[in-house]
Amino acid sequence: MSAAPSSANVSRDPLEPTVLIEGAQTDQSLNDSLLNHVWRGAGRGWWMLFGCALSALGLLLIGITYTLYKGIGAWGNNIPVGWAFGIINFVWWIGIGHAGTLISAILLLLQQKWRTSINRFAEAMTLFAVICALLFPLLHTGRPWFAAYWLMPYPSVQGIWPQFKSPLTWDVFAVSTYFTISLLFWYLGLVPDLASLRDSSKSRTKRIVYGIFALGWRGSGRHWSEYKWSYLLLAGLSTPLVLSVHTIVSFDFAVSVIPGWHTTIFPPYFVAGAVFSGFAMVATWMIPARQFLGLKHVVTIKHLENMCKVMLATGMMVTYGYIMEHFIAWYSGNPYEQGQFFKTRWHGPMQGIFLTMVFCNCVVPQIFWFKKARTHVGVIWFASILINVGMWCERFNIVVTSLHRDFLPSSWQNYAPTWVDISLFIGTIGLFSTLFLLFLKFVPAVAITEVKELRHEMEHEAHHASVGGGAGAHG
Amino acid sequence: MSQGAHIPHEDTGFVPERYVLAKFATSDALLEATRKIREAGQGELDTHTPYPVHGLEKALGLGRPLIPTIVLGGAIAGAFIAYSMIYFMNVLDWPINIGNRPPHSPPANIPITFELAVLLAGSSSFFGFFTLARLPKPYHPVFQSESFRQASVDGFFLSIKIREGESPDAAAALAEAEGATHVEIIEELER
Repeated sequence: MSAAPSSANVSRDPLEPTVLIEGAQTDQSLNDSLLNHVWRGAGRGWWMLFGCALSALGLLLIGITYTLYKGIGAWGNNIPVGWAFGIINFVWWIGIGHAGTLISAILLLLQQKWRTSINRFAEAMTLFAVICALLFPLLHTGRPWFAAYWLMPYPSVQGIWPQFKSPLTWDVFAVSTYFTISLLFWYLGLVPDLASLRDSSKSRTKRIVYGIFALGWRGSGRHWSEYKWSYLLLAGLSTPLVLSVHTIVSFDFAVSVIPGWHTTIFPPYFVAGAVFSGFAMVATWMIPARQFLGLKHVVTIKHLENMCKVMLATGMMVTYGYIMEHFIAWYSGNPYEQGQFFKTRWHGPMQGIFLTMVFCNCVVPQIFWFKKARTHVGVIWFASILINVGMWCERFNIVVTSLHRDFLPSSWQNYAPTWVDISLFIGTIGLFSTLFLLFLKFVPAVAITEVKELRHEMEHEAHHASVGGGAGAHG
Repeated sequence: MSQGAHIPHEDTGFVPERYVLAKFATSDALLEATRKIREAGQGELDTHTPYPVHGLEKALGLGRPLIPTIVLGGAIAGAFIAYSMIYFMNVLDWPINIGNRPPHSPPANIPITFELAVLLAGSSSFFGFFTLARLPKPYHPVFQSESFRQASVDGFFLSIKIREGESPDAAAALAEAEGATHVEIIEELER
């Protein structure tokens, strides 16, 4: 403000925004480069990955079929470990989905411009992760064909209603609302891009197919004026929604009386953990995708660096959560709480999982204090996978480790997953990957409209800065 | 439909709408031209741009957007429906004793009330927008122009809907005078 930034050799302002779009781009060049991967035929790499994903999806079908045929006795959980893989995987997948909403909604409200290149990608991830998550509680009921509607309040001949004082009922509403709103938000953002796909397509068939999904969008100024509000309000609504969803998921545990579950820190610590694992999953997919789809000019190293900073911050919050759980266990003087946190977790039969969790979630993200690590794609990619492993272990600790030491030592039982549990888990990774690869093939992975708008804004800002450089009055 | 398409006023009584479609080089040129042509009072204006351009609402003379009001309505309706549903089901119609808590215990009702408020507000934002925009509408006369394909890529277009019985020439000339790089007159083929 005070110093005139007009001379050419001013030292670089540390607060100056860094490049979010690399190279000299026009609307046309952005359009071409961001749609290129949709028009290009699927390469050998895509088919290989798709083949792997489909095989894993096959495993999911086998797992589901066997579960329905045998009943959930085919799973490894049994009293006292009444919840195991089903709930671990549910919470893990939901958490992964949350980064999508965080990036698209919260960062939009905070006017973080770097979100623009990765939001579409992350939103798609949200949708697919929530689909994977939803499978588990449905199957866990043992009668998914009933659960699909028995959970909903509808007037039935049985005359009974859902019990609204149960967090499990809240969960049904939270997760289904989350899925619906995420889908609407994603599609609304996609409509202008689908129109640009329609208008850039070379073949008639593609033009018709994308034309149907574009709903006749014609970029009308009258539409844009309402559209901007519709999009902004969906973002505004998604923000408290995403916080509420994981809070309610944590209530499933926190409202009970099990030592290791019954704590008030669960809601914020679950939300932080969700964002932590979600950003890790975005990084895991984004690093190869930007390479192979040619998106390096819009998903720059600066984007990855910012994601690392978010992972570092949320990783520290999660670590604080772990410390606080231990502190409260000690401070409460409750022998069951103390036994759970100081004996079972550190020295019990599930010790390996606990220590893996501490290493992956508390130690690994510390590497992001160093700029060298934040800007090295190999390091980020490897760390992001470790974080996902760590977050899965965290849910295992919460669910299984807390349950397998009951109040009475005579009830203690160990837990081991069966092949069905493992197939279902790997199967959902296959389902997620299949959906994601299809998304990368048929829909632009980057929100083209928003990137163009960002380019336009930055051009305007640069123009104003160069014109009114000495005046210093700009907002 | 097929025989009457080009012959207005006869046979079918189909009166084709006519549009002047003008392309501008930059968004600033489009803004300026939109403002001036609107002041000149030529038919109904609309712009077609690949992304929302700041200031277009003002140039087009649009009023306050309706979406925020619709969304507020959705949120209130959602919260009201949720709370009254829970109250009816667990208090009036079939009270169940859960751990000796009162049938009406407000804190337990908050999560679902919130979720349904968000669900209805979000849905009304989405469906409200498409209703206001009268979309989906796969066919619109501006799509007849081959150059309109640029509108979703990098083109800034202004369309002027010519009033019935008036000639489009005046509007076309005005658009040209305002610096349009390409002007064409579109006559609707079918509806």
